Amino acid sequence: MGTAPEIANQRIVEALVSKLRRRQVVGSRQTAIETVLVLRQVISKARFSNIEHLIQIIKAVGRRLVQAQPKEHTVGNTVRKVLHHVREEYHAVSRAGPSSAQPPKSSFSISKFVSQGQPRKQNLTLPKSEARSTSLRENDPDDPDSFAKGLKPVLMEAIQDVLDELETVYDNVSKSARDHIHSDEIVLTIGHSKTVESFLKSASHYRNYTVIVAESAPSFGGHKMARSLSTAGISTFLVPDSSIYALMSRVNKCILGAHAILANGGMFAVTGSLLAVSAAQAHSTPVVVCAGQFKLTPLWNLYHEYGALDFADPSSVLGFEEGSLVDKVDVVNPYFDYVGPELINVYITNDGDHPPSSVYRLIKESYDDEDHEL
Amino acid sequence: MPSAVVPLPEAAGQSSAPPGTLPAKSQKQMTKAERREMQERQRAAKAEKATQNQSKNSPKSSNKPAQTSKEGALAPRRASKAADLAPKGFQGAGGQSKDVKASGEDKSAHTRGLRIFSHFGLPKPTAHKGEVHPTIVRLGLQFSEFKITGANARCIATLTAFKTVIQDYVTPPNNTLSRHLMTYLSPQISYLVSARPMSVTMGNAIRQLKLDISGTDIDLPEQDAKDALCDKIDTYIRDRIIAADQVIEETAGNKIKDGDAILTYARSSVVEKVLLAAYADGKQFTVTVVDSRPMLEGKKLLEVLSFAGIQCTYLLLPAVGSVITEISMVLVGAHSLHSNGAVFSRAGTALVAMMAKQHLVPVVVCCETYKFSETVQLDSFTRNELAPVELFNSFPQNKQQDLSSLSDQPNLQILNPLYDLTPPSSITAVVTEVGVIPPSSISSIPLALGRTML
Repeated sequence: MGTAPEIANQRIVEALVSKLRRRQVVGSRQTAIETVLVLRQVISKARFSNIEHLIQIIKAVGRRLVQAQPKEHTVGNTVRKVLHHVREEYHAVSRAGPSSAQPPKSSFSISKFVSQGQPRKQNLTLPKSEARSTSLRENDPDDPDSFAKGLKPVLMEAIQDVLDELETVYDNVSKSARDHIHSDEIVLTIGHSKTVESFLKSASHYRNYTVIVAESAPSFGGHKMARSLSTAGISTFLVPDSSIYALMSRVNKCILGAHAILANGGMFAVTGSLLAVSAAQAHSTPVVVCAGQFKLTPLWNLYHEYGALDFADPSSVLGFEEGSLVDKVDVVNPYFDYVGPELINVYITNDGDHPPSSVYRLIKESYDDEDHEL
Repeated sequence: MPSAVVPLPEAAGQSSAPPGTLPAKSQKQMTKAERREMQERQRAAKAEKATQNQSKNSPKSSNKPAQTSKEGALAPRRASKAADLAPKGFQGAGGQSKDVKASGEDKSAHTRGLRIFSHFGLPKPTAHKGEVHPTIVRLGLQFSEFKITGANARCIATLTAFKTVIQDYVTPPNNTLSRHLMTYLSPQISYLVSARPMSVTMGNAIRQLKLDISGTDIDLPEQDAKDALCDKIDTYIRDRIIAADQVIEETAGNKIKDGDAILTYARSSVVEKVLLAAYADGKQFTVTVVDSRPMLEGKKLLEVLSFAGIQCTYLLLPAVGSVITEISMVLVGAHSLHSNGAVFSRAGTALVAMMAKQHLVPVVVCCETYKFSETVQLDSFTRNELAPVELFNSFPQNKQQDLSSLSDQPNLQILNPLYDLTPPSSITAVVTEVGVIPPSSISSIPLALGRTML
């Protein structure tokens, strides 16, 4: 359309798109935070006269971002979460008023529970919107901006909520660390996950235990993890991936991080996780996954696609220093593993602990059905 | 560390006169087990005192090698003796660590974890006791630098070196070759063991050699006896290794069909021969080589196979989960087979076998019968070996890692176990020169060979 706010929007979005495409944004949480900031700017500058228009704008931005980096699922998740909050706030405000039909508390049928998300959450947002119970007029021909002006402050608050949740992810996940790790336990972890790192460090304030870190070739994230854990005073062993099965008979639990949690309860995690989890199952060792709720993805069919594994640079596996071997040999270097839900025992998220079988419910609560396809 | 000093008199008190049960017995009256316990406690107390003096200046990480090398010194020497002493030796180390644990509970609450791997033992610096033949010295150096790796290679190298030693040997007067040669060989063997813990193959071969030596006819002139021994060694290598490999090549080659996708892990000399022979036979198949740190042996196998013209794929161990669905058979080698059907092999084999079994891919282990060991191994902790960190710094050029700065961190220890145990449930079949057998029948290999002892 060419109006100034639209051009400004495009510039912000394009900046993030190119960062995503070049993989300059590293880490799911960082990506999520940047996405939220971009969406906040887009919404604050957007001009819309009814809710559908706003949702279309957000979805368009979301589609651009997801196309830039489809393997980075937190982008899509954050967009969906913002959309969910937008719809909630809108419903709350438009229902605000003495004659508001509150969801009848008396009839708790399962279908209502599942289709409306948790009633508890809606009640929370209600008081905020009731405070400013102006009646929103959609599509007002005299004052096209009144709807937007009325809704925007509420939306900004909702987005701030999302941002706050993202920024306190590590603290909230680590809250229950003390109950999960006991004295003199031996814990196995793979590669480098900031969530797991903060989980283990917070547990170390209360317990003395040992961590075995598998180095996860070829990214060798385990080296960073081992260094940071041992600096924090936790006694750490750094081992190559080949010894995971050998050491598993002494390991008390397996604590891993996730890249994305799929709707069926499975997850994408750094390569090597499938080996560790399978070995843990062979030894009946519990598997605990620490992840923020922003990693919950409503998509679940991804693991059938071989490409979902996001392949990385083959020269880390077989470099050019190997000479003539390089063009005779195929080298495979996937970055992620798909781990099925039957192999995981519990997900520790910033919103509590959940078994993989109830992940679908968390997704119903956090996102709206119509947003699954952006 | 005041807390650790206090319990020492306790430990000493325990050893001298535990009240009530044992009124002061002399050493002769105590049973062997009690004597051993007392020795262990005194040694633990001494070790504690020694480490206390060291720990004031040096960080814990250098403390650990001092302690682990001491305990590691116990482990290889005990492992080299006959199998019946091995459980007692392990118990001894376990008892020692338990005592130290009890005495330094609060200090070592977090170092207890570091101690559960202490029995793996890094090779300690070699000590010359008695004369060691220069060939053996060179061999020991090659072993400790990991220039010769692999069960077959090490066994052949050891036997060849012993042939030279035997030829150079001169029976001293008033001694018979059959009796004195064994005592002459003992320090050579312990030198090799101190360079690197002995493999099962070396153990079996040396046991056979000792049997042959003791069976030498006393009346034979010395040179004839020595020649006969060298002949026997040659026969052993030829029959149990070379010829066995040829039979395995054929048998396993029959299992490979056109269009197969074979997966192999690290580098096994037998599997290499099988694949090259099958390809030379004209079979069309592709090979996926899975490799892993610390030794990255798969690269050498990859070179050999691709220069022979076989189409290969190369990947690192963590990526196995993504390709296993395309694989039709997994071929691995072994370091040794155990009576309960378990296969002791390069670290990482257990993971590959487990993944393959989960996806219903047959796992075939190629192994000669001389690798059979009478002992039963339950998990990878009973017997294992740690590779020295400095030797295995191989990282690809674009991802250089700084292991030296990592190993200096307190609270951090880098472990490189070299072996692991694949349970019999993950294995489909073992191909030996006596046939293709399921893992549950491995204990009947001696029977199949027609003798009661290997």
